[in-house]
Amino acid sequence: MKTLVLGLGNPILSDDGAGIRVAQEVGKQLDDPQITVAETSEAGLRLLDSIVGYDKVIIIDAIQTEKGQAGQIYRMGPEDFSLTKHFSSPHQINLATSLELGNTLNLAMPQKITIFAIEAKDITSFSEKCTPEVEQAIPEAVKMVLEELVS
Amino acid sequence: MKKIMIDPITRLEGHGKIAIFLNDDGGVANVYFQVPELRGFEKFSEGRPAEDMPQITQRICGVCPEAHHMASTKTLDALFHVEPTSAAKKLRELLYSAFYVTDHTTHFYILAAPDFVMGPDAPPAERNILGVIAKVGLELGGAVIRTRHENHWVIQTIGGRPIHPCFGLPGGVSKAINEEERAKIEEIAKSSVEFGKLSLKVFDDVVLKNKDYLDMVLSDTFTHRTYSMGLVDENNKVNFYDGKVRVVDPDGKEFCKYVPRDYLKHLAEHVEPWTYLKFPYLKNVGWKGFVDGKDSGVYRATPLSRLNAADGMTTPLAQEEYEKMYSTLGGKPVHYTLATHWARLIELLYAAERMVELVQDPEITSTDIRNIPTAKPDEGVGIVEAPRGTLTHHYITDERGIIKKCNLIVGTTNNYAAFYMSVKKAAEDLIKPGKEITEGLLNRIEMAWRPYDLCLACATHSLPGQLPLEVTIYDAQGNEIKKLSQGIS
Repeated sequence: MKTLVLGLGNPILSDDGAGIRVAQEVGKQLDDPQITVAETSEAGLRLLDSIVGYDKVIIIDAIQTEKGQAGQIYRMGPEDFSLTKHFSSPHQINLATSLELGNTLNLAMPQKITIFAIEAKDITSFSEKCTPEVEQAIPEAVKMVLEELVS
Repeated sequence: MKKIMIDPITRLEGHGKIAIFLNDDGGVANVYFQVPELRGFEKFSEGRPAEDMPQITQRICGVCPEAHHMASTKTLDALFHVEPTSAAKKLRELLYSAFYVTDHTTHFYILAAPDFVMGPDAPPAERNILGVIAKVGLELGGAVIRTRHENHWVIQTIGGRPIHPCFGLPGGVSKAINEEERAKIEEIAKSSVEFGKLSLKVFDDVVLKNKDYLDMVLSDTFTHRTYSMGLVDENNKVNFYDGKVRVVDPDGKEFCKYVPRDYLKHLAEHVEPWTYLKFPYLKNVGWKGFVDGKDSGVYRATPLSRLNAADGMTTPLAQEEYEKMYSTLGGKPVHYTLATHWARLIELLYAAERMVELVQDPEITSTDIRNIPTAKPDEGVGIVEAPRGTLTHHYITDERGIIKKCNLIVGTTNNYAAFYMSVKKAAEDLIKPGKEITEGLLNRIEMAWRPYDLCLACATHSLPGQLPLEVTIYDAQGNEIKKLSQGIS
């Protein structure tokens, strides 16, 4: 099964880089030609470009929710974003709309998409390091992604 | 495992916020606009080798990393006092043109087209790219995706990496392209020209042939007579990659033309107490407030401004469309904000035609791609036209090339004042005492700012994916009476 592990975020903006950090750690522990580990700072349509052609996709990103605690890890599917799909963002389109667009245009869309999101504390300070709370969550997130890969 | 739904107020502090305050009669009393501040980029850069800047600065913006990479690379040329080889300049411009094709395609089909194809009053559930495809056809949707995909391949092939290129070096680029790659890029470039023509036809069919839309484009609500800024070549023709910055006044007369290192002689920043934003303006005109006209230093740097600031396009099809736009809209310059969508498509066609010219140049496969710098670095300024406006990078280093100071004027920033004026004017014209504030009315206010494609603090990409923007309307007592959110609900 052709699989993509995709870390999303900005590696120089504190906790926004958490997804990329996790993907990099996962990449170090894998040696399977069927699995591609990649990172991107993009979203929307470019995300669609990245995932087309894979059977299974695991996305890791930072998230901020109203009452979440920094470092908390969520496992989600695209359906969790369905509420957002019809609102266009200032620049592009969001994940759910991207996926629907791919299906509408009969692109080779993945059969399964899993999203791991790490609750971020600081996403507005330029730094290559995550906050301690998020830093501590990274090994656990790596473990969850590796387990997902064999599930 | 905890399962969650995305909370509607995700990233409460991360919103771009527009607040519209009404007076006792229900008319607009005032408008405020705030965006979150990203902290500490200058400090983050200090102490790093200047050669790292093309990699670092492209992470500032998730929408146009290629523009930052290119501006930064050109800044390194200036900093190290080295002229890139001719082949290197052409490779840079070829990549940059492919980037323009992808970026302008995205903006038009994802952001602009839904308003016109579906109509400004269509419910948000239909007013999006999926609605556009349902109405216009799968074939066009496929062409949008294909054009973007192919041009991303071009960026990756020349730039060494998808999305975040790593080929820019002081004095040139890190890799050449071979004949096989050249031939494929040529095919993509030609197909992009066809796509550019098709997109202009869509605009013609959907917008220009619809009297209501044309009236809207020409209406005073969406008009601002400001100065226009854009990069031009030695013949004053539009150029995205290189040249001088030219500014024309609201009557279209050249006000100034400057080389990158002189930018501070021409630009200054105005500060308002109600926002972190700084509003750049033309120093030699002066800040007179958020007002139109020749006496106001407010300028715009958008696709339309670039066309206004130039004497034409260097490629034949784009030039034809350039002339058509100005003859249709009553001559140069054009100040109708909604015409920015038209200008963007003309630029898309130009970028594709320019790709064809560059990829057919015999020098494009040359391996003479770098001049090694020998001078000591000190200070450099580099400018390119980012899709959202003139992008300026300025670095000062010690003699080892370690960054001591860094200043950036990001494309979007140029348009903050005009953006604010556009929102305010649309709100004042459209929200009237006794008139119900409907979704369609709010969308029309949104249409006033959509052409700018404002890149807020777009360095973050946390889920749900993009920086949200929120408009709240308050009555005279300060009570919230209506809220419009994009990207957050």
